Formats: sequence, structure tokens, C-alpha cells
Amino acid sequence: MNSLLRRLRHELFATPGDAVLSVALLALLTLAMGGLLRWALVQANWAVIQANSTLFAVGRYPAEQQWRLWLLTSLLVGAAGLSWGLLRAHPRADRQGLLWPRNDRVAVGLLAGLAVWLPWALGLTGGIQARWWGLAALLIGLRWLAGRQGASWPPRLLKLVPLVWPLLYLTGMVLIGGGLGVAKVSPSEWGGLLLTLLSASFAILLCFPLGVLLALGRRSELPLLRWASVIYIEFIRGAPLITLLFLGQNIFGFLLPNGLAPERVWRAAWVLTFFAAAYLAEAVRSGLAAVPTGQVEAARSLGLSQARALQHVVLPQALRVALPAMVGQFISLLQDTTLLSLIGLLELLGVARTVMANPEFLGKNAEVYLTLAVLFWCCCAALGLGSRALERRLDPRTVPSR
Amino acid sequence: MTTTPAAAANTVVPANTVMIEAQGVQKWYPNGFHALRGCDLRVNRGEVVVIMGPSGSGKSTFIRTFNALEDFQKGRIVVDGIALSNDLRNIDAIRREVGMVFQQFNLFPHLTVLDNLTLAPVLVRKRAKAEVERQAMALLQRVGIAEQASKFPGQLSGGQQQRVAIARALCMEPRILLFDEPTSALDPEMVREVLDVMRNLAEDDITMVVVTHEVKFAEQVAHRVVLMAEGEVVEEAPPQVFFNTPSHERTRRFLDQIL
Repeated sequence: MNSLLRRLRHELFATPGDAVLSVALLALLTLAMGGLLRWALVQANWAVIQANSTLFAVGRYPAEQQWRLWLLTSLLVGAAGLSWGLLRAHPRADRQGLLWPRNDRVAVGLLAGLAVWLPWALGLTGGIQARWWGLAALLIGLRWLAGRQGASWPPRLLKLVPLVWPLLYLTGMVLIGGGLGVAKVSPSEWGGLLLTLLSASFAILLCFPLGVLLALGRRSELPLLRWASVIYIEFIRGAPLITLLFLGQNIFGFLLPNGLAPERVWRAAWVLTFFAAAYLAEAVRSGLAAVPTGQVEAARSLGLSQARALQHVVLPQALRVALPAMVGQFISLLQDTTLLSLIGLLELLGVARTVMANPEFLGKNAEVYLTLAVLFWCCCAALGLGSRALERRLDPRTVPSR
Repeated sequence: MTTTPAAAANTVVPANTVMIEAQGVQKWYPNGFHALRGCDLRVNRGEVVVIMGPSGSGKSTFIRTFNALEDFQKGRIVVDGIALSNDLRNIDAIRREVGMVFQQFNLFPHLTVLDNLTLAPVLVRKRAKAEVERQAMALLQRVGIAEQASKFPGQLSGGQQQRVAIARALCMEPRILLFDEPTSALDPEMVREVLDVMRNLAEDDITMVVVTHEVKFAEQVAHRVVLMAEGEVVEEAPPQVFFNTPSHERTRRFLDQIL
């Protein structure tokens, strides 16, 4: 206790100037937090969120088909728990990682608390509340099990685990859209967080290889390839996304014969992909520039071909350097999906606008926008945390952790 | 420039005697700088040749032409019976037989020490990973750092890194090793551990061409010492002749400066 006081004194009140600044900032913070809390707990009327929680989550996705989304969510949660546990059971060869580091314990506590409190606070039906508890239990249970047993798994099995994710993505596409014997749900019925995450993840996954190719093209020795990449990148970066989105809604109709043009949602997702690829290419290019020429020379002098040197020596280093910038791109891409509401798609912001236009909930804009902000913040924070963990794991300079 | 009948007939010198044959090699950099002005050198199998010379004399450029890291505009180079040309397959074939150790080590920082060694043999020579790992561990043992195998290069000292780089080159089982100022980037107390490894190697059958400023190493290990200046080979002699009774004025001036 005494040491805490001493630390506070040292950090906040070291000099009279510091003390004044600290007191002023503390007062300001207290005022702001107090005001926000008073508003959130007393004045705000959260009925608008409670009544529309399904709409915010999945839009107009047919109620009798929503079991598919629950199934997909539980698969994703299961895969997350499994991967999390296995990662902790297999720290990098040169480190001794803890099975349950402090951050993990905090995260598990937070997730369990959220899974119990949030569905209750939203006044969801008992059945749905139980599902959220089940999901949390699945995540934590698999995390615990995989952490305990993972160390003794055969390496061949471990190599298959990363394949779960792309497989799950394809399964998710089928579960959401139908096909292969599952009833079709037209993309025009997808909405809310579902549509936001779907379009963002689609664009993130596809813009990555595209961006890498563009960056390599821009550094290529073939003039045609180089110029094509430069023109593409500079054109896309010179145009606002919203104009490209409107252009995309029209251009696919001109370019492709009737009936072949993708659904409006997909047109928008492709435009997002092509847009993000140009920015990503620049991030990757900066990473490529950071790899010393000696690395290529060493690889080539060992007999590696140009392609092999790129694949095994240059790209792994370049992408690690570019990782923070790339994740920054992914985060802004996620936020850019809100523009889809302007071309009439009901992603999170689109749903929010229809809810606010409902006479029943007039004047409840603050509640809705705050909810949206928190939802986006959660998604972006997850991306950021994941990227930082990846950075730490890939950083060859970090010396054994604890 | 002397042309041997073999070169004139464009046939290949028997591979069991001459490992590197360079004749009249000339190179201009894209900015017009004339870096090599007609260099000749012949290195026999198992020989250790040390190249010395002031900085900017083209010695690094010269040995980098031997494995096609630098191109050249005039002259002819035959390495282990294969004539260097623009044919990519030719270049890859030569690079498999020629290992190189760089001044800046150039280890792959994202791979462990062991993976640095095994990467090329597995990818290029298509050998089984387990077998290459056994050989790699034996090589690391030989250069005295087997206990660091699972570390990353950034966690090692400069001397250790350079020894890993030598082991990495050896893991491809090259017939020729090129050293481009291998101790110039090292702290003085680490120079010896690297030179000891190189001494140890010289006793083997392997052919070595070493660009270095280490006079003692040249005196004790080299079969021949070559002086380069202003892009030309000035003098070529056994070490006792080179250091005691050099025939060229330029060599005497160079030795006065460094001894």
C-alpha cells in the first residue's frame, strides 16, 4: 500500500507543475466519466438496443434459418479456443511461455463476465442467454483442454490445425449463403454485424495476396508490369472509396453479361478488396525495401532461385516489417465498410439508420451510435491485439520472455 | 593477357586441377566506373588464395563475379569446369558448388541457426530434412556453436554469427568457398575465432579464395597471395615471396602502409 502511494506520488506529483497538471487532468477525467456514466445509467433509454438486438446482429436474416449462424459462431468459437490453447502449449522454440500468462487469465475472466452480463442486460430470452453461456464455456473449455493436452499432440496433427481456419471460412460461406443442400439465403437479406464482418473479412483475406503481388509488381524489373502496378496503385489511391463503390455498383453491370454480374453485396465486397489492395501494396513495398540486399545475395549464393529466395527469405522478413502498417490498413478497411450503408446495404450503420428512422425510437441516436462505436472498437481492438501477439511471436530479436 | 590453348579452343579445363579460371575480366558499373580492368586468376583444387589490396581496388567485385553476384562485360570465367554465361541454369549450377561468406554475415534473421543451415540443402539439393539436420549439427559442432542451434542469429555475437555463416555455406557441400572480408565487421577479440575456423577448413580439400586484410592469416595459410590495385591484379606470389621480396613497387607501397 505504502509503495503504491510512493509510486503515485513519484509519477503524478513529482514537481509542483506535475501536481497541478495531474489534478487538472484528474478533475477533467472525473467530470467526463461522471457525465457519461450518469447519462448511460440514468438518462439513456437502452430499449432501442434491446428491441433491435437481432437486427443489429444479423439484419433481416430469416429467423427460421438463424440456427446456421449459431452453428457457425460455435464452430468459430471452438476453433478459436483450440488455436489459443495450442499456441500457449507450444511457445516458440527459444522461449519458455507460460501456459496461463496473466493476460490470458484476465481475458478469460472478461469474456466469461461479458457472456453472462451482456445477454442478461439486453433482456434476451432465456434460451438465447443460455446459448451465449454455452459459447463462452466452449471457448474457455477448449482453451483449457488444448492448453493441457496440446503439448503431447503429434506434430503431424498440429500441422493440420492452421488448415481449420480456411476450411471454416468456406464452411461459413455455405452456412451463411446456402448451397450444397442448405437452403439459400439471398445476400440482400444479410445485414448488421454479420454483413460488416463478412464484407470486411472477405476484403481482408483477398486484398492480402493481391497487395503482395502489386508490391512485387511495382518493384519488378519488367517495365510493363511495373508501370501497370504503379498506375493501378496511384489510380485507386487517388479516388475516394465512396466514388469507387458507386462506380462498382454500375461497372460490373457493363463489364459482365446480364445475370453474371455478382449480387450487390459482392460487388461492394470486391470494390473494397481492390481498394484495400492498393494501400496494402504500399505497406508491403515499405517492408520489401527494409530487407537488405545482402539477404538476397546470401540466398542466391546458396543456390536458391529468385522465386525461392523471395518465398523463404525476402517475404517472411518484409511482411513482418510491414505487419503493423498492414493491420492498420485492415482496421481502416473494417471501418470503411460503414460506407456500404450509403449504397443502400444494411450493414451495421445501415441497420442503425433504419432503426433511428423508426418513429418508435425517435431521438435515440446517441444510444445507437454509442453502441456502434463500441462494437467497432471491439472488432478493431481484437485485430490490434492479434497483430501485436503475432508481431511478438515473429520477432527474432526478442529474447526469451520471462 | 595470356590465352591458353584450352581457352582459345573454348573447351573446358579438366575439373580436377583448375577450379577457377578467370581471364581478362573487365567490368564497368552502370555509372561508367571501370571496376575491373582485365583481371586474370587461376585457382587450383585445394588451394587457398588470399587477395589483398587497398579499398576500392576491386577485390570484392572480382570474387563476386565468380558466383555471378556481379556480372562482367569482357573476359571469361570458368568455375569447376562450367563457363559462366548469362544462362540462368549455368549460374544456378555454379552457385550450388560455390559457397560464399560475406563481410556482414547475411544470416537469415527470421530463421533459427539450424534452419539457416538446412534451408538451402533441403530446397536446392532436395535432401531429407532429418539427414540435413544431422549434418548441420555436426558442422555447428565443428565451428564450435552446436549449443546455439535453436537460437536466432540476432541473439549471437558477431563472431558466432560469422561461424554460423561459414557452417551454412559448408552445409551445401561446396567445392569452392569464397570469403569476402569475413573478419572486417568483427570486434577485434572475435577475429581470432573466425580465423581459427578458416585455418581448420584450409587443411581440408576445399578450395578457398579469401579477400582479407589479415596479414598473419595470409602468411600462415595461403598458398598464394594476390595484390589488386585500381582494378588490376598487380602481383601474385607465394606468401614468403609476397611479404618479403615483392617484385612490384605498388606491392611494396601497400605493404609499407599495412605492416
